[in-house]
Amino acid sequence: MSELIPAFDWQRVMIDPWTINFSLYGWIALMGFLVATACGLVGNYLILRRMALMGDAVSHSVLPGLVIAFLLTSSRGTLPMFLGALAAGITATVLIEAIHRKTRVKQDAAMGIAFSTMFAIGVLLVSLYSEHVDLDADCVLYGEIAFIPLEPMVTWLGVTLGPVSLVRMGVVLLVVVGLILVFYKELLIASFDEALARATGVNPTWVHYALMSVLSVVIVSAFESVGAILVIAMLILPGATASLMTDRLAVMHGIAVVHAALSAWLGIVLGVWLDCSIGAAMVVGGAGIFTLVWIGSLVARWHRESRGGWGDDRGPA
Amino acid sequence: MSPGNWNRGTRIVALLGIAAVLTSVASAASVSEMVDSNWREQLARFFSMRDASLRFALTGSILLGLSCGLLGSFIVVRRMALVGDALSHAVLPGVAFGFLWGMTKDPVAIFIGAVIAGLMGTTVVSLLTKTTRIKADTALGLVLASFFAVGLCLLTMIQNLPTGNKSGLDKFLFGQAAALGADDIRLMAIVTVCAVSLITLFYKELLATSFDAGFAQVAGIPAEWIHHGLMLVLAAAIVIALQAVGVVLVSAMLITPAAAAYLLTDRMHRMLFLAGGFGVLAGVAGAFFSFVGRGLPTGPLMVIGASTVFTGAYLMGPRHGVVARWWRQRSRAARTERENTLKALYHVWENDGFRDVGVTLADLAQRRRETLDDALGRSRELERHGMASVSRDAVYFTPQGRRRAAEIVRNHRLWELYLTNSANIAPDHVHEDAEKIEHVLGEKTVRELERRLDYATEDPHGKPIPGPRDIHGGLATGANPREGEA
Amino acid sequence: MTVAANGAIPLEIHDLTVAYHKKPVLWGVDLEVPAGQLIGIIGPNGAGKSTLIKACMGLLPIQSGWVKVFGQSLKDAPTRVGYVPQRESVDWDFPVNVMDVVLMGRYGRLGLMRRPGKADREIARECLDRVKLLPYANRQISNLSGGQQQRVFLARALAQQADLYFMDEPFAGVDAATETAIVTVMEELRDQGKTLLVVHHDLPTARSYFDSLLLLNMNVVAFGPTESVFTAEILQKTYGGRLTILSEVASTLAAEEGGNPLRR
Repeated sequence: MSELIPAFDWQRVMIDPWTINFSLYGWIALMGFLVATACGLVGNYLILRRMALMGDAVSHSVLPGLVIAFLLTSSRGTLPMFLGALAAGITATVLIEAIHRKTRVKQDAAMGIAFSTMFAIGVLLVSLYSEHVDLDADCVLYGEIAFIPLEPMVTWLGVTLGPVSLVRMGVVLLVVVGLILVFYKELLIASFDEALARATGVNPTWVHYALMSVLSVVIVSAFESVGAILVIAMLILPGATASLMTDRLAVMHGIAVVHAALSAWLGIVLGVWLDCSIGAAMVVGGAGIFTLVWIGSLVARWHRESRGGWGDDRGPA
Repeated sequence: MSPGNWNRGTRIVALLGIAAVLTSVASAASVSEMVDSNWREQLARFFSMRDASLRFALTGSILLGLSCGLLGSFIVVRRMALVGDALSHAVLPGVAFGFLWGMTKDPVAIFIGAVIAGLMGTTVVSLLTKTTRIKADTALGLVLASFFAVGLCLLTMIQNLPTGNKSGLDKFLFGQAAALGADDIRLMAIVTVCAVSLITLFYKELLATSFDAGFAQVAGIPAEWIHHGLMLVLAAAIVIALQAVGVVLVSAMLITPAAAAYLLTDRMHRMLFLAGGFGVLAGVAGAFFSFVGRGLPTGPLMVIGASTVFTGAYLMGPRHGVVARWWRQRSRAARTERENTLKALYHVWENDGFRDVGVTLADLAQRRRETLDDALGRSRELERHGMASVSRDAVYFTPQGRRRAAEIVRNHRLWELYLTNSANIAPDHVHEDAEKIEHVLGEKTVRELERRLDYATEDPHGKPIPGPRDIHGGLATGANPREGEA
Repeated sequence: MTVAANGAIPLEIHDLTVAYHKKPVLWGVDLEVPAGQLIGIIGPNGAGKSTLIKACMGLLPIQSGWVKVFGQSLKDAPTRVGYVPQRESVDWDFPVNVMDVVLMGRYGRLGLMRRPGKADREIARECLDRVKLLPYANRQISNLSGGQQQRVFLARALAQQADLYFMDEPFAGVDAATETAIVTVMEELRDQGKTLLVVHHDLPTARSYFDSLLLLNMNVVAFGPTESVFTAEILQKTYGGRLTILSEVASTLAAEEGGNPLRR
């Protein structure tokens, strides 16, 4: 067991990544932060609308879309990726509706059947064509964020922006932030009160589909970094942590960003120390932060109640 | 609904289904990329069962297919698909710890570790929903992904160890039935036997709590305990399936065969049998294709096998299958059209004072405000079903057809009278309703209506309501009513 | 059969308080229900009617107070309580037929691991006959109308052969013929000495169906023979008085010093 956990060398784990190895870890940390932030911001809306399962479904079903796009175009270009993901997302939705609307199979089972079948097909394709596709089956699960710095760099107007995936993620994040800022009120109303939304001219169905599309884009962009399953954590953890601390959406967004930064940092720390997958380490870090906040909230509540007040309980009147 | 009782339509659907399955199997076999170059040799090897690892793989697949199918039935009817998914992802850190216990792939250690991890996961979900505002779906997703992340961390750490590469733990991600050994099979057999016994012994408790947990609790059945017991057995079944199906896809083996069974039967005990059978089928198919296909991961193959079975049930299920339902709808629509033709013929004949024996096609066309061709087509259709005969430019009822025509007209007029009298609806409002009802009134209901209306002889518009004598009178002796008609 | 030989009161509730996420739904309910009565529970939406009977049956956690059924806690007397839940509480696509459901009423008496025998099937058939559903015994439950579904639940409760029955809105969404059939069965049960507590949503029929009425709005507004409690004043207090009750409590709270009323 001792050989499993290397010694915690402060210099190597905490200092070096930000100094000597910064050219390597800098990009990784930044990518982690971008992924976690984008996922966290979109994930806030999933949590509010009780659609966490949607994140699960979309992340499983995009895989065959991605693989087929890679196979057809023999490239990892952005456009084929997004198109493949979009096609996969639509297929999944069609399948789920076909199952639970036409038979007595309920929605939860219908979703499970649809997205696990699509995921299985994706994994099979990856295994079959592993020579043609730059993916390997295990990386589908936990991504390969450590390879980000090895990608070709993007330069724009003479400035080196960063590795391809990172720039792509950055653009996606900017778009997400932009959409949230511009449509803040609409998203808020549509998530809390559909009737009010309709009355004020906001169409909840449009909001739903827009959210699903943005979700698919974010998941696909995050796929290479953290893989299919971990992206679910990235979607939910920041928002869940925030919901323990506040009920205001704007504050939730803020806390999500902080959580993302901390998770990215912790991911580097754990990844360097334990020599494990950095993507998984980021999620473990994020889960650790969540657990601390959770325990903290329980302690705070116990403390309040033992002093005998109402606390934040809304009693009668 | 045994095959002997299937009507023609259902039989055709079944044949189409078999043809589709055979075609897809054949095309699958021809996917050359998937299959080893000397696949005939592989097939021979498979069926001769000489490979010990193959025997283990098959036995394991059968065992896990059975237990996943049985337990999955309860998951599906209790709507716990997401719980099953979360539980199966949450076991991964337990697998890693189980390996670390003895630094070897010890099935028992891995089993215990994984079950503990799984139960910890469900406990955390429960705590989260009880102590915070976090909803169930968020909590499940959180536990699913976080535990899985911990497991992945450990796995990647283990793979860095000198012994790690040979740990075989990476097989736990997507499954490899060929990796099953004698110890694994023994454990799987024990768990499967336990699962089957417990389900048999506590069947009624499981049934009652799955259908209506509140009532069961009040009636004296310990619903909480049954739930915990089910979760425990579920965790065990998930864990034994891990090596063959993989962590990521094992929940599909729980849900998909059971969902297929759910589509095919209306009784729980039959659903259990079918689900177990489908699970075994999917498991064996996965193992087979993996063996023949250069050692591809068995998990995805088993899941695709299960989904194929599900698709078959979805399309071809005799009662609820989409194709069968479409077929039934089509036959119903066709029958309604035939009856409308008979009605039109009867009306023309009636207006004529029941004089001429036949009705000219021209009159029929005019009555229905259609073309002569349409009238001919309709008459031919009637002829095909033994309701009429067509000659030159006239249509003649058969005794069968005349009886049915009179019945339809009777139904229509009776219903109109009933609506006007008993429901006080104006006579000019009742026609549309009667147009629909006339085709579906059963004989028992008709008797009741006649009785209630005091065997009236006229409808609200003054038209005569055919009575039993009108319907059966004039029926030539020896005419045999055909089954499924009228 | 009649009430317990030791003359125990069928249902005794003392100072019952039930909360949902820290908000009280029932508050300080006191009740003694006599045997052989057909009692209707009425009140506005959210008044806690379903909550009351569920708490009595142990289906919801109790913040404070207690409930006794025939002098014992419910756990010790499961075979004496029958339950007809709301129809929405169940998935009607479940793969069982009518007979399967009614047989479930016998499960509580069988003990673990025992199968229902011929006698149990006979009883189930009798109960189905009483609600006029015997010809439908082999029908899958999704092929039933709303009224038939309600009668299946009633037959299941009858099969329990209990002495105290809780029914949650048994007349909701049911056709007139079924409603009459249910009332007949209820009256038969009452004439046999059973006690029935029925959550009901319709005021006019409440007056004619029930011997006594329990008017509920977070606590007991009135309980007694129908004719004496069905008055304008009491009804106003029950239905119009939600805010009145809350403001009464608020002023009481203000008078006390920061105490948590949920802790006695």
